[in-house]
Amino acid sequence: MSEQASKLLDSLKVKAERGELLYIGENIVRVDSMEKVLGSPVYTGDLLPKGTVYAKLFHASVPHGIIKRMDLGMARSRPGVLGVLTSKDIPGLNESAAVLQDRQLFADPVVRSTGDILGAVIAETSPAAADAAGKIEVDYDRLPAIFDPLEALGPDAVRIHEKGNIARQMKIRKGNVEKGFADSEFILEKTYRTQFQDAAPLEPEVGLAIPEDGGVRIIGSMQSPHHTQAAVAKVLRLPPEKVRVIQAVTGGAFGPKSDETPYDVCSTAALAAVKFRRPVYCPMDREDSMIMHTKRHPFVISHKTGVSKDGMLLADESKIVGDTGAYASLGVFVIVRATFHTVGAYEVPNVKADSNLVYTNNTYTGSLRGFGGPQAVFAFESQMEELARELGMDPLEFRLKNMLVPGKKNATSAVMDASCGLSQCVEKVVTSSNYREKAARYRNQMGNVRRGLGIALLMHGNSLGPEGNDYGAVHIEVLSDGSVSVGSGLTEYGTGAISGIMQVASSVLGVPLSRFRLERPDTSKHRESGPTVASRVVVIGGNASKLAAEKLRSRIVPIAAGLLRVDPKDVAIADGVAFDQRNPSKTVQWETVVAEAYRRGVSLREDGFFMAPPAPWDQEVGQGTPYVQYTWGALIVEVEVDLGTGSYRVVGAHAAYDVGKAVNPGGVLGQIYGGTVQGLGYAMMEELLHKDGAVVNPNLGDYYVPTSMDIPDEFKAFIVEVPGPLGPFGAKIIAEPPIVLPGPAVRNAVLDATGVSVDDLPVTPEKVLMGMKLGPRARSR
Amino acid sequence: MAKRVITLNVNGTEHPVQVDATDRLIDLLRDQLNLKSVKEGCSTGDCGVCAVLVDGKLVNSCLMLAGQCDGRRVTTLEGLVDDPTMKRMQGSFIANNAAQCGFCTPAMLMASWDLARHSAEPSNEEIKVAISGILCRCTGYYQIIDSVREGCKRGEK
Repeated sequence: MSEQASKLLDSLKVKAERGELLYIGENIVRVDSMEKVLGSPVYTGDLLPKGTVYAKLFHASVPHGIIKRMDLGMARSRPGVLGVLTSKDIPGLNESAAVLQDRQLFADPVVRSTGDILGAVIAETSPAAADAAGKIEVDYDRLPAIFDPLEALGPDAVRIHEKGNIARQMKIRKGNVEKGFADSEFILEKTYRTQFQDAAPLEPEVGLAIPEDGGVRIIGSMQSPHHTQAAVAKVLRLPPEKVRVIQAVTGGAFGPKSDETPYDVCSTAALAAVKFRRPVYCPMDREDSMIMHTKRHPFVISHKTGVSKDGMLLADESKIVGDTGAYASLGVFVIVRATFHTVGAYEVPNVKADSNLVYTNNTYTGSLRGFGGPQAVFAFESQMEELARELGMDPLEFRLKNMLVPGKKNATSAVMDASCGLSQCVEKVVTSSNYREKAARYRNQMGNVRRGLGIALLMHGNSLGPEGNDYGAVHIEVLSDGSVSVGSGLTEYGTGAISGIMQVASSVLGVPLSRFRLERPDTSKHRESGPTVASRVVVIGGNASKLAAEKLRSRIVPIAAGLLRVDPKDVAIADGVAFDQRNPSKTVQWETVVAEAYRRGVSLREDGFFMAPPAPWDQEVGQGTPYVQYTWGALIVEVEVDLGTGSYRVVGAHAAYDVGKAVNPGGVLGQIYGGTVQGLGYAMMEELLHKDGAVVNPNLGDYYVPTSMDIPDEFKAFIVEVPGPLGPFGAKIIAEPPIVLPGPAVRNAVLDATGVSVDDLPVTPEKVLMGMKLGPRARSR
Repeated sequence: MAKRVITLNVNGTEHPVQVDATDRLIDLLRDQLNLKSVKEGCSTGDCGVCAVLVDGKLVNSCLMLAGQCDGRRVTTLEGLVDDPTMKRMQGSFIANNAAQCGFCTPAMLMASWDLARHSAEPSNEEIKVAISGILCRCTGYYQIIDSVREGCKRGEK
């Protein structure tokens, strides 16, 4: 035992000397990994009680119109059907809207997109419900529809909502762009476009409602259970406590599961559960999900950028238009984040940006990993590439000259401090990719197959920033057997972030993560913690977890000291053993200390609450410090293009991200790999297509997402650690950022190889080939 | 619709079951036999998270009719929990952080186990091909590929 203790002390001392923390920075086994590799029944669809009936949502068939007649008779008479729910069956408010009150749960009488849900068939089996839903006939008075956001901005455009077609505006006024342009040696104006992307989490949105105690218990796949509770309670006109929402293990989310879709499926299931007194399961199948849930906004972004003779950025004016489809959803915040990132990771002394989030009759858009970042950064990193080439400068050198480093100011005039690790990220990827040598070599390529290099740099504002108060609560309870139970209104949906906040508590308490248990987020047990979005769990929840664990530790250490008969300041706890730091042979087991606390009636339950400091900014000019810290990153990709067909593959990817402190490095790498590949999908192949407002490819056969055959053969990922001021132990966010850079990096690499500028994502072989046929720069949309 | 009784061997046990002509294998496995490791992600054979082995061949159980399995042998993850190769593969998935949301994990494990039976040292390309029918939206595949490579290595017997 004394040997064990002295080893512990040694390892603690080594860590202390290195400035390291117990367990932090170690590759940990996630608390939820065992249930996943066993295929345990933990997802919503695995948990249906006996007697569960099915709800099948049905949606509009026109993009804009007024419902004249809905014939439900045929559907109601089909075998196995319990009934059909429409707006008339809603006892409370017919609303399912995340921010603005612009969206109904069941559209009535106005339909604004083909994704509008009109109601649901409730039947004994899933096939019976689907069969009956196909028998519903709806007649509409058609209204003129708009599918192009620029057209929707026109003065004579049809009004999609009473208040007009602009859901949100945003602007930046930094310096004086007119003067900046006057001083410029060279000015470039270009327009870039991005597409609809579907998050396609492998588990679509699903909700289960069970009648209970004069209300309902809901189990569902979602990011924000408390918001779902509030939404369902409104629809059912029930007090919130009669709507208990439990987040089941969630099979991927990426944003849409923080928007209205979980409200839609859970409200529908709850309505039916109350009406028919049966457990009701409302699953979206893949097609439902791709039609009815929120996607990534298509953007149209124009940049006018001025540079000096020696390649310094002097001014940038951007016009940003985001297509929010029929409803605003979280788009009101997406457009703000996009605007703050309009000149990305560069210092531009004069910036003017004007943004409009615009309604159209396309299906609606909302949260998706990156939240406006991928669109804004695609546009500006493409612009940077074009500028470098016009100036005859190497694209890397041009970026190095202008990128943000400590002391420089970003678009909001926030001054970068020592926590800006961008240059370290760039150095890593430049070295790893052998950029300079390769760039020189590739200049003189001949033949039909050519290589190209593309770079993109990242600044990503951390946390909610302008989206509201950024807080989180974490509850920790040490049980009498010494195990530790952790609960929060913040949720896990794949990233491992909740294991990360438990790792923080584990570090503070000195108890290994194997003794920790995660409580399922439950509105009847856990405190509301804001939405689980913006990759904020480790940073905000981690701080809350740290606070709770520190309070517990302050009660546990004196008990351990009593048992060890030493001064509390000499007590250390590591790996579940408390010991005297001056005499490590004196030890007492964690379980003994906990049992003593229980014997004395000392409470070992604690809540930690953390709120991020304010991030003030001036709405009139878009200036201030809307983010408390930033994540930094750099990506270089190498492509090989067949000039005969325009087809290409990404042969290498070199990515570095400054995450402040990697709490779980294996988890951080998982986010870098996963986000980059999802971003490569966005760059190369993913595009949800609409024709006259109807989704053309709502399935994973016609909407391509990357398979294992599509990933780069070589992928080098680097973790850079320049501590930030906000997160626990200096941690910065990482789940979202890696999806941002592949779009522009791939586009720039293809340009490097072929001379073809593809200005609208995705960069498909057809566009590359067309560009080569028409000659560089001649291709138009 | 007339029900028909078929008998199939699922995870080593003979099951006489009643099926309709239109019942899918996935529903038989999940709903009648309570084998919830089999997931449904698209219902059109595109995502592969419903993959199981039928007579030793990896198939999408959403595209196969239950009636087609009369007299055949079906294996799901639940049937391999005591198999040493599967245990090694599961351990490797855990150690390499290969399960994020976990929804594709059972199918990935089935495909990896199938590969491991045939090859102790598969190449990267072989691993990619083996799992190419299953989509993962979280990991970007790299940590899964690492896991499969490690999991395929046969230890000393």
